[in-house]
Amino acid sequence: MCGVGTRILTVEDDERIRQAVKLALEDEGWDVDEADTGEVALDRFRENTSDVVLIDIMLPGMDGFEVCRSIRRSSDVPIIMVTARDDTHDVVAGLEAGADDYLTKPFAPKELSARIRALLRRSRNPEGASMERILVGDLEISPDEGLVLKGGEELHLTKTEFKLLVELASQPGKVFSREVLLERVWGYDYFGDGRLVDVHVRRLRTKVEPDPASPRYVVTSRGLGYKLQP
Amino acid sequence: MRELPHLGLRARITLIYTLGALLIASTVAYSGFALVRRELLADTEASAEAQMWRNAASIRRSLGNQSDEAIELALIPLEDRPETDESTLDIQSLLNELLKPNNALELLVLRDQARSSSALQIRNIPDELEELVLSGEGGKIRFRQSGQPRYASGVFIAQLDAQYYEVVNLQPLQETLDRLRNILIGVAIVASGAGAALGYSSSRRALQPVAEVSSAAQAIAAGDFGTRLDNTVDPDLAPLTSSFNEMVGALEARIERDERFASDVSHELRSPLMTLAASIGVLEHRRDELSTPAQQAVDLLGKDLRRFTRLVEDLLEISRMDAGAVEADLSPVFLAEFLRFAVQQTDAPDVPVRFLPEDEELVILADKRRMAQVIKNLVSNATKYGGGATSVSFLRNSIDTVHIYVDDNGPGIAPEDRARVFERFARAGADAGRRDIAKGVGLGLSLVSEHLRLQGGKIWVTDRENGRPGARFVIEMSLFDPEELDEEFAE
Repeated sequence: MCGVGTRILTVEDDERIRQAVKLALEDEGWDVDEADTGEVALDRFRENTSDVVLIDIMLPGMDGFEVCRSIRRSSDVPIIMVTARDDTHDVVAGLEAGADDYLTKPFAPKELSARIRALLRRSRNPEGASMERILVGDLEISPDEGLVLKGGEELHLTKTEFKLLVELASQPGKVFSREVLLERVWGYDYFGDGRLVDVHVRRLRTKVEPDPASPRYVVTSRGLGYKLQP
Repeated sequence: MRELPHLGLRARITLIYTLGALLIASTVAYSGFALVRRELLADTEASAEAQMWRNAASIRRSLGNQSDEAIELALIPLEDRPETDESTLDIQSLLNELLKPNNALELLVLRDQARSSSALQIRNIPDELEELVLSGEGGKIRFRQSGQPRYASGVFIAQLDAQYYEVVNLQPLQETLDRLRNILIGVAIVASGAGAALGYSSSRRALQPVAEVSSAAQAIAAGDFGTRLDNTVDPDLAPLTSSFNEMVGALEARIERDERFASDVSHELRSPLMTLAASIGVLEHRRDELSTPAQQAVDLLGKDLRRFTRLVEDLLEISRMDAGAVEADLSPVFLAEFLRFAVQQTDAPDVPVRFLPEDEELVILADKRRMAQVIKNLVSNATKYGGGATSVSFLRNSIDTVHIYVDDNGPGIAPEDRARVFERFARAGADAGRRDIAKGVGLGLSLVSEHLRLQGGKIWVTDRENGRPGARFVIEMSLFDPEELDEEFAE
């Protein structure tokens, strides 16, 4: 159970939306912190460690992307971006800024809580049987400890990047379609957004690849998906 | 009468330059040639005639004071004369010694005997000239003999009662003139070619601004509104450049305004909808705590809120499409698997998906979100207006295309309305026995056709097969060629 004691920070400048979302989240049994600007959000985040952060992109002053990047510099807390439009630009920019997932307004509270639960699951240690340590090239992945070493040095991956890497490493050489990765990492059904996978793969590459421009580990396979090159 | 094919501006300019060059070059060549020919002929003839006069005078001087006997004797060839004769006067020698530039041939007729240092005979002299000479006047004539041009002049030497002629062969001159003519024709051809090349290159240069405007217009039509023409100092082109740039600037500003409007409307409408959606969510979550009438009210609210949300989303989607700012997010999609998932998301999740067993693995290139909305809208359209969808199916249509069919059970759509159902808020008169689209079909089908257009697909509507009642919506999509995968997704 991941309800009790879970803190969620919502950053939203529209007071009525903030209230309605707070109501809906509290209805799920979660504690909710609120912030109406990016600056306030960063203060709140420092005061009270949150388990999930919900950031609206359109904020007065410091925008949602900047808030996301600031939090990312010091924390791997799961972040959900809220956009008013599902344009490629906003979505990809949000994911590039470090968001784990996104939602388009207006969304149903059910949808939001499902996304939050998926992220919380990812934050806990992987469920199910413990997995063997995996060695690929100079990468050493320890799923149970949530640790990735590259040439003996620890890499700082977000929970989502880590989960993505572990999924790919569970069967090195096997091609995982975007749909499968969306389902296993994000908990989406078939119609999840493939851009989530693409952007996270790109970010993962900047951390694990010797040369992200010509990937050696996480390779694209014939356009249908990704695989971890053994 | 058949019209000439319409030539392009550039072809016309090139043609005019070519014809102009040809005209000038041939005029200059022809007149130059004519002038040279006349001068050369006149020179040659004048010098030939003068020489003839000098030679005639020389003959008169040599024979004029001789006695008749001496002349008679001189006519006899040296070798035929008696050895006793000591006279040295000899006509043949006299003729041999005459100066004859231009290779002229001479003929002297004296005492009815013709003498020449060459094979020239009296019959070689044109009768006209002979008559002129016999009449006592000098004469000259141009004529042809053995196919060659010749010039003959003659004079009557009264003192001797003799006729003297000289004939010049003009053939060498003619050959020189022929060579000159050939050279001038060559020059005219080269000049015309140079004219054509000049016309081509200058028309190219002259039309360069037009080509630039055209490629700029193409870039703008393709959505690159930042395109501008380079500023120019050319006074002839500056007005075009500046008015074109102003026009594009105005267009860009206007499109930006429209886009901003769509995005402002989006934000303005989505914010209250967001509050409503979150609040209704709480109410729905706590539905069990409500009284029965309140439950019914919440159900109604929830349903219509979703409908309203969908309508707003459709409107925003279509206004974004109008702004031209959207692109499909294409990826390879297994069609059979996709349709099974997509149908589950529709109003009628139980509608069967049919296809041939060998087509299970067909792959199309599609934007899954847009394609799912297409299927959703078509099935919902069939449910609302077409008596319910009966099946969603697909069939390979050709080596590289596939047809996806959505069949319904309704009365079908009249042929004259078939194109119009894809218009926005389409309305048409009802046709007996056919579906009445006068009620309007909203934005659903126009959005469908826009979504498909973005993915390179097409849609139309026909009757169902084998005379079954109902309408069949046919979507045509290109099959995905796995060979293209690496190019499309190379990173």
